[in-house]
Amino acid sequence: MTGVFARWWSSIAFRQALIFGALVVFTMTVLLAVFYMQTIGVWQRRFDSQIETTTQHLVEYQKRSGSFALGGHINALLGDGIDSDTEVYTLVAPDGHLVAGNLAVTSDITVPRGISEHSVLRAGRPSRSRLRVTALNDGSTLIVGRDMQDLYELEKLIRAAIASGAFVTLVMAVAGALVFRRQLERRIGTIRQTAAQIERGDLAQRVPISAQQDEFARLSRDINAMLDRIHGLMEGVRHVSNTIAHNIRTPLSRVLARLYTAQNASNPTEALPDAVGFAIAEIQDLNIVFDKLLRIAEVESGARRQTFTAVSLNEIAINALELYDAVAEAKGVTLTHTLEAEPSVAGDGDLLANAVANLIDNAIKYTPNGGRVHVDTQREEASVTLTVRDNGRGIPEEERARVGTRFYRLDRAVPGWGLGLASVMAIARLHGGSLQLADAGPGLIARLVLPATLA
Amino acid sequence: MRRCLIIEDDTENAQYVANGLRELDWIVAVCRDGVDAIGRAVDEAWDLIILDRMLPNDLDGLSILKTLRSLGRKTPVVVLSALAATDERVRGLKAGCDDYLTKPFAFSELAARIEAVLRRSQPEEGVREMRVADMRVDLIARRVERDGRSIALQPREFRLLAYLLAHQGRVVTRTMLLESVWDYRFDPQTNVIDVHISRLRSKIDKDAAVPLIHTVRGVGYMLSPARPTRELAQ
Repeated sequence: MTGVFARWWSSIAFRQALIFGALVVFTMTVLLAVFYMQTIGVWQRRFDSQIETTTQHLVEYQKRSGSFALGGHINALLGDGIDSDTEVYTLVAPDGHLVAGNLAVTSDITVPRGISEHSVLRAGRPSRSRLRVTALNDGSTLIVGRDMQDLYELEKLIRAAIASGAFVTLVMAVAGALVFRRQLERRIGTIRQTAAQIERGDLAQRVPISAQQDEFARLSRDINAMLDRIHGLMEGVRHVSNTIAHNIRTPLSRVLARLYTAQNASNPTEALPDAVGFAIAEIQDLNIVFDKLLRIAEVESGARRQTFTAVSLNEIAINALELYDAVAEAKGVTLTHTLEAEPSVAGDGDLLANAVANLIDNAIKYTPNGGRVHVDTQREEASVTLTVRDNGRGIPEEERARVGTRFYRLDRAVPGWGLGLASVMAIARLHGGSLQLADAGPGLIARLVLPATLA
Repeated sequence: MRRCLIIEDDTENAQYVANGLRELDWIVAVCRDGVDAIGRAVDEAWDLIILDRMLPNDLDGLSILKTLRSLGRKTPVVVLSALAATDERVRGLKAGCDDYLTKPFAFSELAARIEAVLRRSQPEEGVREMRVADMRVDLIARRVERDGRSIALQPREFRLLAYLLAHQGRVVTRTMLLESVWDYRFDPQTNVIDVHISRLRSKIDKDAAVPLIHTVRGVGYMLSPARPTRELAQ
């Protein structure tokens, strides 16, 4: 039994429902108790004032007509059939014998005092009554009172009602708790099942979403979104390690092959300088690739978010434009710009400069002699956009989604490493923004969209 | 003769740097152990210290640097490390190094940076005007004259020229120019700097009897009235 309860108690749904039930019982008891106390109090005061006025009335009656007449009056009151279940009138002679009335007289109730409660025998039945005992001028004693037994019966009734009410509530709370627990368990069960399957290695599993749009459906969706992101990251890692292996091993094997060939050549002294030159160039290239990969990894780790400051995108654009104007001029590409009023973002100046330089570099690289590259900045309510637009060959729509994956290169004839846009995208993501590519027909529109800082 | 202490545990690397510096007439000492290195760095007088970061016994070269600086030594220190991330670089500069170069590197780049660091440690102040051969440059009014003929330069071209002038007779590398003229701490990898230099050259050296801007193959550029010698080019 305790085992079963311990198991129930370990469920948060059960505990919550039970605690809630207990709270309901407690509130109900307090309410009824307050109601009861108030009612009893009112009645008691009313009875007391009634006793008081009747006593005064009878005392005056005795003064006017004497004790014997009072006895008669009391007998008449008791016999009139009004309040005969509750009224108490008794007149005791100075020598202690009963003149008239419905109380069995005992010595301890004939002492004059204010209104108080006593256990008495009224009309031969034991009862609790409130009594007012008054000494009259001729030495006899008048007792006026009210039998409270009916009130006590009511009190008992209310108590029983409270008790049975509390019991029913408690039973319903436990039953509700059990139902609630089962409901919760069922909903969480599906999530746990999915988690267990994923733990076993089935990463494609997702939490089934129920038709109800409740908290659990929202939680399940959040969990699924998280799982999608993790899945994506893992795919990314796998892809990256594969491509890294490919892109580093290929040049390494080229270098080795060239050096071995030179070493084994019939005339090594002639072949070696060439091979060494080739090796140096390849290794320098490898170093650049490695450096770029590390930089992307550093950006993706998010560590640099700690040092974000307010950065003006215009300053960055001007700096990059002044760096590339000579290259554009030498290539016969017209580089123009329109910069809008102060688009400022919270970010890392170095990284943003890197991203902007990359976009301009790309645009110039893929635009033929006589082409145009235009850079502009725009500020909208919540975002700042830097657009680089060229009229070069652009990127075919079907290729656009793959641009930005590491080592992906549209044209192997153009020198490069296939890491430029990947790094721009990583930088945009770090800043909570994005890189959007669109067709300029002909050419490419690259939009770096970043969240604006509140001015 | 200038004295340099190389603190580096990789023999091959240390030898490469030491040989290069000896060819440039330095007296070089190599220290492969971190604890020894602290003693030598503090006890002897050096014109330059080249410091590796990951030393034997889990010792970070930066702790040697911090010790040195806490003792008030202002010896120029160039850190040479495989740790290239920005925050590592920042940590190096905060610890008090004068330059931070990541491995692998070309010796020519290191040599150029050493010259720049040594030059920086003895600043020339209050220079208003500089002359090289028949070129006169007013650094305050930003005016350039060659053979009495005024040359119009864009602001960025002027900064480029001013930097070359400040290092005249010494090689400056492309990354050094990117860092100081464009404030770029990354290398765009294209020939941007070369194009800028050739544009500057066409304005400065056109029709001039003596060319001033020279290309040092595989390294960078130099501003000098005389052609760079073979030794410098290496």
